Amino acid sequence: MLNILVCVKQVPDVNLVKIDPETGSLIRAGVPAILNPHDENALEAAVQMKERYGGSVTCITMGPDQAAEALRECLAAGADRAVLLSDRAFANADTLATSYVIATAAKLLGSFDLIFCGKESLDGATGQMASQLAERFDASQLSCVLEILSLDEKSRTLTAKRELENGMETACAAWPCLMTVEKTNYRARIPNLKSWKASRKAELLSFNSRSIPGLDPEQIGDPGSPTKVPRTYPPVVGERGQMLDEGSVDRTVDKLLGLLADVL
Amino acid sequence: MASYNKLTPELARQLEGIVGASRFQYGEAVKEEYGHDEMPIYGKYLPEAVCLAESTEEVSAIMRLCSEHCVPVTVRGAGTGLVGGCVPVHGGIVLSTARMNKILSYDMKNLVVHTQPGVLLCDLAADALAHGLMYPPDPGEKTATVGGNVSTNAGGMRAVKYGVTRDYVLAMTVVLPSGEVLKLGKTVCKTSSGYSLLHLMIGSEGTLGIITELTLKLIPKPIRDVSLILPFEDIATAIASVPSIKLANLDPQSIEFMERDIVDSSAAFTGNPVFPTVVNGRAAGAYILVTLVGDSEEELTLKMDRLGEVAAEAGAFDTLVVWTDNLKKDVWAARSAFLTVIEAETKLLDEMDVVVPVDKIADFLVYTHEEADKQGVYVRSFGHAGDGNLHIYCCSNELEEDEFKRRVKLLMDACYAKCAAFEGQVSGEHSIGHAKKEYLRQSVGDTAYGIMGAIKQVFDPQGILNPGKVCHDL
Repeated sequence: MLNILVCVKQVPDVNLVKIDPETGSLIRAGVPAILNPHDENALEAAVQMKERYGGSVTCITMGPDQAAEALRECLAAGADRAVLLSDRAFANADTLATSYVIATAAKLLGSFDLIFCGKESLDGATGQMASQLAERFDASQLSCVLEILSLDEKSRTLTAKRELENGMETACAAWPCLMTVEKTNYRARIPNLKSWKASRKAELLSFNSRSIPGLDPEQIGDPGSPTKVPRTYPPVVGERGQMLDEGSVDRTVDKLLGLLADVL
Repeated sequence: MASYNKLTPELARQLEGIVGASRFQYGEAVKEEYGHDEMPIYGKYLPEAVCLAESTEEVSAIMRLCSEHCVPVTVRGAGTGLVGGCVPVHGGIVLSTARMNKILSYDMKNLVVHTQPGVLLCDLAADALAHGLMYPPDPGEKTATVGGNVSTNAGGMRAVKYGVTRDYVLAMTVVLPSGEVLKLGKTVCKTSSGYSLLHLMIGSEGTLGIITELTLKLIPKPIRDVSLILPFEDIATAIASVPSIKLANLDPQSIEFMERDIVDSSAAFTGNPVFPTVVNGRAAGAYILVTLVGDSEEELTLKMDRLGEVAAEAGAFDTLVVWTDNLKKDVWAARSAFLTVIEAETKLLDEMDVVVPVDKIADFLVYTHEEADKQGVYVRSFGHAGDGNLHIYCCSNELEEDEFKRRVKLLMDACYAKCAAFEGQVSGEHSIGHAKKEYLRQSVGDTAYGIMGAIKQVFDPQGILNPGKVCHDL
């Protein structure tokens, strides 16, 4: 029976976030929070593994109390239990401090065979969490997994197809194994009424900095975060491209060559 | 028989003087897009000139000039129509209201918005929401103008709960064919004050006057909403569930139906297969998509429970809950893409927009499929199950155009006759234009059709406004 962990994050819906032109900071007021879309795919991969091989799926997140909503979404979509790590002392954590808290708390919950993460968050988008967590769990890591082909419980290994920049590869990894997955085969499922209702009533497991034994206060929140953000600013958008269509390929190419000649 | 004049260079110069050179196209400068709408099978007719008006005064001046010289004028919004309504089939000029695209003001005490007609539906809807309000009409084509919506009395997906565009128009400014400016309606919700010229104007497809300003009713936006997908074995079982859903006292905001093949196409087109095709081990052949609104999660949960029971009794494989904003966006984007998907996959296309009693939807669809098979064209359908408004697209990628038209005519003759036998309407929201005139005449009868023509004559004795449309025969 597989013991599976999925690490998730609640993020602001960045499609609706605006950037303050003066300060360069994100205007989050009134912007709805959503489950990080990449985490939905991670969860779906985990639930599919549970359905194929048996076991249970635990979801864990660090965030404010409102992040419980993201966990309920996970429960509706097939997770069996959900864990919220919430404490003011966790605030302003960078990825290093976050991965420390999540890994320390998760180890209280048991030993996990498979760990899934979204490949990056919609807001910070550092893409660092998966690798940091793999180190902290002492797990092998497969990123960009297109499809988990097979699991072998005897040898405690799995085989998965990965998407690379220049092709694909099939890789074999030992458990515990941490994976980030691509959307193609792991699109979020729509929960049915029964599981949705159960998720709304479910009890969540909650931990704070005092209820996680052995947590080093110097490694959490602000003190535990070496990342410094001196300034944020919106990306500079380049000039819009010009579409050329002169009615025929030859004329369009001539036009293009003419324009390039002007520039070069 | 009306006799129209061609646009002379001198008249063109005067029109250009009204709107300015940058908003005037004449002769060869007229862009191709002004010669058709989104259903090019009904022919392309380039206007002699295009005026992009920006004010009531400009529209009035254009109409005075065209009336004086008996030049036809066809009004155009975003050109997203499907029956050739904005196409200048008898030449003359196209008067575009696309540049009259300002939301003028909100009256928060009376819950109304004053707007120009060229505002796009999607922009009005988003702006109203930003004010904490909702503009209830929700036609699938979000890039249509509100002026176009009023002119066709568009309905859309939320009509089952809130009614259609007509129910939200309180007042308007109209320019008559003579150029005279008329204000119709008031910012009040009741009237028992003579014939309603306002309501005559709504749905008149730009044949009686040109709408240059609108006062539209808004409502407070619902506090919570949820959409639910009900997968069924086939379309007949799916449609059969609709009366029970309506009777369950849920006051749904929308009840849409869709057949599996269009859902598959939409998934391939958008790259987002959001509708599950296999549910609880069974392949879905059709879906009902329901939206419920309420003041709280508790209220919605109770409604969902009732819907779940009704759906199970009706044979739904399951009741799937589209609760999160992300999923709602994906599901409704897939639904909104249906027409675009059909257009992208089809070389030759024609459409019907009939309304039949809800209990006749399945029979009508079965009949349409049978008749289409006879004619060797294929049909794809989706629509508003809650109010019986069906969007049926007749498609072919193999036939020559003339042969396609011939066969579709036979198919439509049969289908509109069946629609009449079911006591249905020719069009629910796409209107008549010049494409469906004959079917309108058959549906309403010669007397009613004649009265419509007489009304047109009163407003537009020269017949210069959108000639040859709805009930106007030349």
